[in-house]
Amino acid sequence: MKSRRLMVLSLLVSLQGVSVAQILDPQKLLQAEPTDTWPTYNGDYSGRRFSPLMQIQSSNVSDLALAWMYRVKTSGPVRGGINPDIKSTPLMVNGILYFTVPDHVFAVDARTGHELWHYDWVDKGGHLVGNRGLGMYGDWLYFMPPDGWFVSLDARTGKERWRKKVADEKMQYFTTAAPMVIGHHVLVGVGGDAIDVQGYLEAHDPETGELQWRWNSTPRKGEPGSETWPNAAAMEHGGGMTWLPGTYDKELNLVYWGTGNPNPVMAGQGRKGANLWTCSIVALNPDTGKLVWWFQGSPHDTHDWDNTETPVLFDGAIDGKPRKLLAQAARNGYFFVLDRTNGASVVSKPFVPLNWSKGVDAKGQPIPDEAKEPTVDGSYLTINWGGGTNWMPPSFSPQTGLFYVNGTLGYALVYLTDTSERPEGYGGFGQPLWSQHILEALDYRTGNVKWSHAYTTADGTQGGNSGPGALTTAGNLLFTGDYNGNLIAFNAANGDILWHFPALHSLSNGPETYMLDGQQYLVAGAGDTLYVFKLAPRRP
Amino acid sequence: MSISARCALAAAMLLALRAAQGYAQAPGPNENATPPAQMEENQRALRTREFLGLGRQPDAKLASDGEKIFGPTCGFCHGADGRGGQGPDLLRSPIVLDDDKGELIGPVIQNGRPDKGMPAFSSMTEDQIRAIAEFLHMQVELAANRGTYQVQNIVTGNAQAGEAYFKGEGKCTTCHSVTGDLAHIGSKMEPLDLQAAELYPEARNNDFGGTRPQRQVTVTLANGKKLTGSLRHLDDFYVSLTDAQGQYHTVATAKGVKVEVEDKLVVHRQMLDKYTDKQIHDLTAYLVTLK
Repeated sequence: MKSRRLMVLSLLVSLQGVSVAQILDPQKLLQAEPTDTWPTYNGDYSGRRFSPLMQIQSSNVSDLALAWMYRVKTSGPVRGGINPDIKSTPLMVNGILYFTVPDHVFAVDARTGHELWHYDWVDKGGHLVGNRGLGMYGDWLYFMPPDGWFVSLDARTGKERWRKKVADEKMQYFTTAAPMVIGHHVLVGVGGDAIDVQGYLEAHDPETGELQWRWNSTPRKGEPGSETWPNAAAMEHGGGMTWLPGTYDKELNLVYWGTGNPNPVMAGQGRKGANLWTCSIVALNPDTGKLVWWFQGSPHDTHDWDNTETPVLFDGAIDGKPRKLLAQAARNGYFFVLDRTNGASVVSKPFVPLNWSKGVDAKGQPIPDEAKEPTVDGSYLTINWGGGTNWMPPSFSPQTGLFYVNGTLGYALVYLTDTSERPEGYGGFGQPLWSQHILEALDYRTGNVKWSHAYTTADGTQGGNSGPGALTTAGNLLFTGDYNGNLIAFNAANGDILWHFPALHSLSNGPETYMLDGQQYLVAGAGDTLYVFKLAPRRP
Repeated sequence: MSISARCALAAAMLLALRAAQGYAQAPGPNENATPPAQMEENQRALRTREFLGLGRQPDAKLASDGEKIFGPTCGFCHGADGRGGQGPDLLRSPIVLDDDKGELIGPVIQNGRPDKGMPAFSSMTEDQIRAIAEFLHMQVELAANRGTYQVQNIVTGNAQAGEAYFKGEGKCTTCHSVTGDLAHIGSKMEPLDLQAAELYPEARNNDFGGTRPQRQVTVTLANGKKLTGSLRHLDDFYVSLTDAQGQYHTVATAKGVKVEVEDKLVVHRQMLDKYTDKQIHDLTAYLVTLK
């Protein structure tokens, strides 16, 4: 028995020695805009969610037809009474789609929608707000169930290879992120804001799962950045969660990550100061986890405006000079364009009306207005309570030079409930008053709105904790959705509506596209269902 | 319908809605009546706890017993609320968060932590430990479960200034009357709801259980024909309505089709860009006096 095992082992070793073809060639991850694969959360490292495919284009998009649907069949509403929405962007590798909802991973045939396997995790806690999907390295998938685990699966079978604990759910950490593979590192982020905990980003070995490095998103006593906190106790309350995947520039070898709000969330009286590196965009060396530069989108945030929104990378011309840029439409309502080599500000401009800031400082960072912090009797904001946008993926089209974001206009009152000198938790709440969802196309050079579309609805106030992501293609198309269940294709250049499809639920992830058997596919997750489209055959 | 009648209707519907929300969750007639607002709060706390995965609900009576022991015994170092002082913050202690009924907290109390300067409380009984543990779990609950948060006194404004705004600059009397639609509004609504409603009457309808008032719509087709009725659906592609005869209509909102939705709150929306915090708080202070 023992010898047989050894034989099998040695066979495996020798097979690996001759480098058996892997399902996903790690080199593929370095390719910009792959068309036969969607190998990461954002499709490629840039976060642009732009595809050069043009089989589907503005002239024929009206011929899009449903190819198949796949409905997630879990046990129904999950803990807390919510139905799981597909917020993950499926990976598409070798004709198979891999995607998640909290506690579940699915592998589905990209041509037919047939399920290949389903991995079911039984959690012992953790917030079920969403799951953003998977990372992939060779034959291995990486998944984060809600209760602080980092799990590797064999993509061929869905069998678990190993699991590593990366966050303590009893400390009220929760995990929703899509792991991000860069070289021989798998980057995993964490979430948490019920109890005040410190945020961090970790890199793990893709083969063994061992920890390689950890970057703390708040400093420890005496470290650089600690001057932006009043004392060590406040620093320990932390924050700066890392719950959305970052982006990566292979030439600069920098990974860009957005960090969440400081803690306590709304009661800022115990943490006077800017509270670095919460609500920031940070540039890290992916091999060491060392901080190279940072830009703080919301210094001393007191409104729960995580700055985790995708930092989108592209090259452009500013005042006639070529620049390596990074753009983010932040939850606090600002559109930021930075020089991604050093974090220098190019544009800092609100993309929705807001009154919480008094302008920007010399670094281009907004200056918060103390008078607009939450108060016991309610402080009035002229921005949506949930922010100007949220986690849903934006898109940048190099074809139009426009940055597309689903935003929200609104008004709110923000209340402070914890007036203690040592507040803990949220410490307050927001009362939404009125809001309106709006799609905006922003000029990256100025932050000006080139065109916008306010989604028509029966009443201005629309709810939901999912949000529609965006995809652009070289067919001059922008795919996204409204909050009424419609998937919509816009003319990316001018905002005309060209096609729509009434789904059973509003778009809840970022749509994606790829080529399979010579046909361009469009995939969108709406609620518990994946909808997959291709062009209907034309009659001769 | 006149504008003021429309506004009154909207306010009346809002009140009916709030009442319905409360009673839907209220106990039966023979049980000890918990005020509807209180029931709503309990539901919110339960749901939030479950959604966040916070574990079991702490026992309030036991926690209150524990508070009486914790304060004088432990408060000196850990703060009366357990949030730390010269000793550590216990709300974020892994021992407290991993503990269920004192099994992890107990040994620390009984043995102390001599290396860190915490004395042993070896005479503490099992019941006392259990109570202290429950007090700490309640403190965690009150911080972590935002469904339990209690709003403090929000009525800080100047009622006289609020009245002046209501009758003057705010032009509220154009639609509203304090002896008509807003009579006794200060008795009918909690200040928190009142403050939201004064800015936007439908604001609280977004909370769970809420529905929205019916709107009227007029659709003018390309050929000039008009359809009027109750709005059933509207998006970028279709408008649906039920007319006075109960007939259902759906019209594709192509070019040439005009959709006019009755908008009772247009003035409220226009005002949203004009308020100052002081005006809002003064207005609330005035409206709560309309008992």
